Amino acid sequence: MSSGGIDQTAEPPPSDIPTLAPINTRQVPWIHWMIVPTVLVLIIVVGYPIGRSLFLSTQQYNLVDVQPPRYVGLKNFADLASDRIFWQSLKNTAIYSFGGVAAAAILGLFLALITENLRGFGSRSLRTVLILPWAMPGVVAAFLFRYMYLQDGGIVNKVLLSLRVIAHPVPWLNSAMISLPAVMVASIWTLTPFFFLLLSAGLSGIPNEVIESARVDRTGTIAMIYHIKLPYLRNHLLIGGLLMVIASFNDFGSIWAMTQGGPGYATSTLVIYIYRIAFEQFQFGYASATGVIWLLLLLGFTMIYVRTLRSE
Amino acid sequence: VTNLKEEIMALLKRKQLMALAVASVFQFASLPFTSIASAEEKITLTFANTGFAEGTTREGIQKVVDDFEAANPNIEIKMEAISFSEIARQMILRVRSGNPPDIAELDGNDLILVAQTGGLAPLGDLIPPGVMNNFAPGALEGLSVDGKLIGVPWNTGTAGLWYNKKILAAAGLDPNAPPKTIVELMAALKAIKKSAPDVIPLGIDTTNRPFALTVNWPWMRTFGAMPTGENATGGDSPEMKAYLSWMRDLAQNHYIDPGRKIGEFRPLAAQDKVAFMWDQILLQGVIQGANGMSDKAFYDNWGVASMPAGPSGKPYTFEGGEQLAIFADSKHKEAAGKFVQYLITDPKVIEYYTIKLLASLPPLKDMGDPELKAALDTPVFNAFAEKIAPTLAPQPYGPKYAGAATAIMAGVQEAVTSNEPIDDIAAGIQEQLGRL
Repeated sequence: MSSGGIDQTAEPPPSDIPTLAPINTRQVPWIHWMIVPTVLVLIIVVGYPIGRSLFLSTQQYNLVDVQPPRYVGLKNFADLASDRIFWQSLKNTAIYSFGGVAAAAILGLFLALITENLRGFGSRSLRTVLILPWAMPGVVAAFLFRYMYLQDGGIVNKVLLSLRVIAHPVPWLNSAMISLPAVMVASIWTLTPFFFLLLSAGLSGIPNEVIESARVDRTGTIAMIYHIKLPYLRNHLLIGGLLMVIASFNDFGSIWAMTQGGPGYATSTLVIYIYRIAFEQFQFGYASATGVIWLLLLLGFTMIYVRTLRSE
Repeated sequence: VTNLKEEIMALLKRKQLMALAVASVFQFASLPFTSIASAEEKITLTFANTGFAEGTTREGIQKVVDDFEAANPNIEIKMEAISFSEIARQMILRVRSGNPPDIAELDGNDLILVAQTGGLAPLGDLIPPGVMNNFAPGALEGLSVDGKLIGVPWNTGTAGLWYNKKILAAAGLDPNAPPKTIVELMAALKAIKKSAPDVIPLGIDTTNRPFALTVNWPWMRTFGAMPTGENATGGDSPEMKAYLSWMRDLAQNHYIDPGRKIGEFRPLAAQDKVAFMWDQILLQGVIQGANGMSDKAFYDNWGVASMPAGPSGKPYTFEGGEQLAIFADSKHKEAAGKFVQYLITDPKVIEYYTIKLLASLPPLKDMGDPELKAALDTPVFNAFAEKIAPTLAPQPYGPKYAGAATAIMAGVQEAVTSNEPIDDIAAGIQEQLGRL
């Protein structure tokens, strides 16, 4: 069976074909200096805000206070450790990011599999419709869902009431129990097309020989998906999943547009919590400390992502 | 000699021409300087306000400004439209960044918050004594920080319990006798829910934002609760728990629709889909603007009364009117003071904008125009002036108010949307208040 991957035993190009000589950077030291402008720009636009946040995280600094910032060491971090809203926001962030991405990946895989063998105009139209949510700005989608979820007059309740699935209108976004899953549905709706596109591309990359030989061996549909197709899609799922987890981790607009983190703290994620501390209470020191934790978590995901890319 | 004369004359002519040319050049060259000088005399004032950001008041405030500019050709007003929920945040960030506007329209805690930055100018010397002495009693209360007046009232926005007489009558209730106690209110809400299941019995703001605490503060006070402020009894006092339990009762019986901003109830009220509204005096203008109702039809259909009294036995209300502030960094404070004075005292502005468009009460004792006094003689204005305004409960505005609002309103939301024990919710509120 062919591996279907890159051919590792490929021969080098014939010697008569002119090729570019590799630049030996040790012999041309000026080449290192070429990256200096880029590094300078990065230091200014990335390094300064991070450095400033780290500095502010050690300060007692309220923007509406005429007093200057005061150094408090790690007090803000110690306060965070005992802040139940921070822990609840962190938990909500994990559920929202991992749960939403996992559900979107499964749905995207399902859609990619059922549309894999479709051909012709109908297939193209269907694919266009399926990727439309991906083209819609997140905030627009969030407002759409907000109005669909309305307790009185929302389309979701109207449909479920007419089908007699529910007896009374459900307060989708105003119930501490179901508001987080309701918000996640909107996120899943937006993320699914990404996985659909990615996995459709992955499926089309599986060599026909592999599929044909499996069919010759009378492999069933489930076994074909589980043993043949999924292993080929593993890296697609991993990289796409990590990218979307990072995106969901940073998702502010959708949640703010739908619930503003409520009711109570039921849908409050880390970014929502940071926004409330920074721009409603103006406690920039405490907000920066929360931001540093958020940054470290994101850094962790990014490192996993980069390592995965390298290993692939 | 003749030739010499001719030559001299020719030279003189050339010199005259030269002089004329030089003079012309200087004259033309001086033209731009003249226009720059006149342009420099024209003052531009930036006015950050919420009225210009809202569809219902945008044209009105523009007309008011146009009239001012026509009467004061040397002053130009540059409008900056900022939404109600954003204006405090933007003003604080702009003060800190060193680019505030000259004048801003602020409201309640927003004014105090911006003042805490030290970015507002004291108004004592900028508003003439004649205007200062003409404010209604109590109108300037709570508008000073460190003994300095930092805002003057533009209009008043006191809240009352609005009731839809048609819905009350259909529910078998007396349409001219609104509930006077919480017990009577609960009985009325029950009757309305039974009679009209599609109607929201009580419209009240339960969002999580500082204004929502302002709206709910009088209800907490009538239960005897004072969760934050100078004489606070805490977020876990028995009175606060009684208030939270009452809110839960309202939600569990579907008497309220949790999570809506007060502004989201107003269009429904205009369609007779809300029986009681806990809202400001401006509701009349919003309803009439939405459904085109005449004054008479409005007074036949809607009435307003003070809040039903809770266990404390006292009704309360809040003041949500707008104030005007001038920024300390403004280079044209005198002109800004003139514009502020115009907005507050000009009879045409009062009649057209404050009374007709905002359906709000001017904050002045004497408006200098008998017709204006007559315009204020309506059942609604009289109810607010005579019965509701005296029940005003001061709010604990200050730098910690926004943080307290987040803690308290999150607790209120938990009470109305979950089954978590009220004791735990109250303890959670107190724990968060303790962190501020």
